[in-house]
Amino acid sequence: MAEEQEGEGAVATEEEPAATPELEAAPEHQGALLHHGAQHSHPSPVKYVGIAILLAIITGLEVGLYYIHMPEWLLVTFLMVLALLKFTMVAAFFMHLKFDSPMLRRLFITGIVLAAVVYTVALLTLRVLV
Amino acid sequence: MQTAISPAPHTPAPGDHDYAVTGIDSRKLGMWGFLASECLFFGALISSHLLYRSRAPEGVHKPHDVYDIPYTSVSSFVLLMSSLTMVLALAAIQRGDDRRLRTWLLATAFLGTVFIGGQIYEFTVFTHEGLNLSTSVAASSFFVLTGFHGVHVTVGILWLMSLVGISLRGHLPAEKHLQVEIAGLYWHFVDIVWIFIFTVVYLVPNTH
Repeated sequence: MAEEQEGEGAVATEEEPAATPELEAAPEHQGALLHHGAQHSHPSPVKYVGIAILLAIITGLEVGLYYIHMPEWLLVTFLMVLALLKFTMVAAFFMHLKFDSPMLRRLFITGIVLAAVVYTVALLTLRVLV
Repeated sequence: MQTAISPAPHTPAPGDHDYAVTGIDSRKLGMWGFLASECLFFGALISSHLLYRSRAPEGVHKPHDVYDIPYTSVSSFVLLMSSLTMVLALAAIQRGDDRRLRTWLLATAFLGTVFIGGQIYEFTVFTHEGLNLSTSVAASSFFVLTGFHGVHVTVGILWLMSLVGISLRGHLPAEKHLQVEIAGLYWHFVDIVWIFIFTVVYLVPNTH
């Protein structure tokens, strides 16, 4: 079916960007323009499954830690590190931030850092985190 | 094929996406901008919950008193695995495998539906325990945070089902894989937000 659907419009925007004036004018940008074609080195399905298994193990570890008696600060530290690890793995591999344009990475990290700073300051001011 | 070559200066035509300035499809850039703004949205809701989660009248349940951690852990696991099926759907369309694309999209939507079903059940149990939206500020902040996340998951499910429909009509060839990629970005974001909600709201002890 995929072959049947390969119309001119799709070819025009996806398969032959080299034909556009932008590329002819700036051939050094061809890599950036073609990156959208998603043929850059995304992980294989087997690797995706491996990452998902690792995520499941980390989730199990988080729940296990919840039932282990330990100082609160230590538990919170462990939980936050594991959550951050899961977050990074999903964003880097499943959302392809590791492989996509650095601009997207910077855009997303800006949002995260802005939110983290604003709300950490707010919660510290309101004495929630101390 | 001649329609592929735009006259100079470049005049965008319908379906002709502008890659010239950033080298990134504007739809994808827009989605990442939206997700960055969503960090602030969910950050506000999580912070509100952290601020108010201890504020309940004497003798009234706080959300922490009625959490069922094993149950919510399974829900979290289900949502996490839906990210795997979503990325497998993207891999399928990039290979031009329509059948597997629909299978993985349906699997993702199914896992999302299981998560939402679990959340509805959890809310029902909490209500029977005497905890509802108006019980206390603590309960309100909990229901608003998890409820908004649930709405995001529901929107994602509808989006995935619409992609299945489009694919069934033969309008989602491999060349249009970006449509699946953008839906996937949204879905994965909903998943990573839950990673933090599960940790901060459910697992981090409330000792205040």
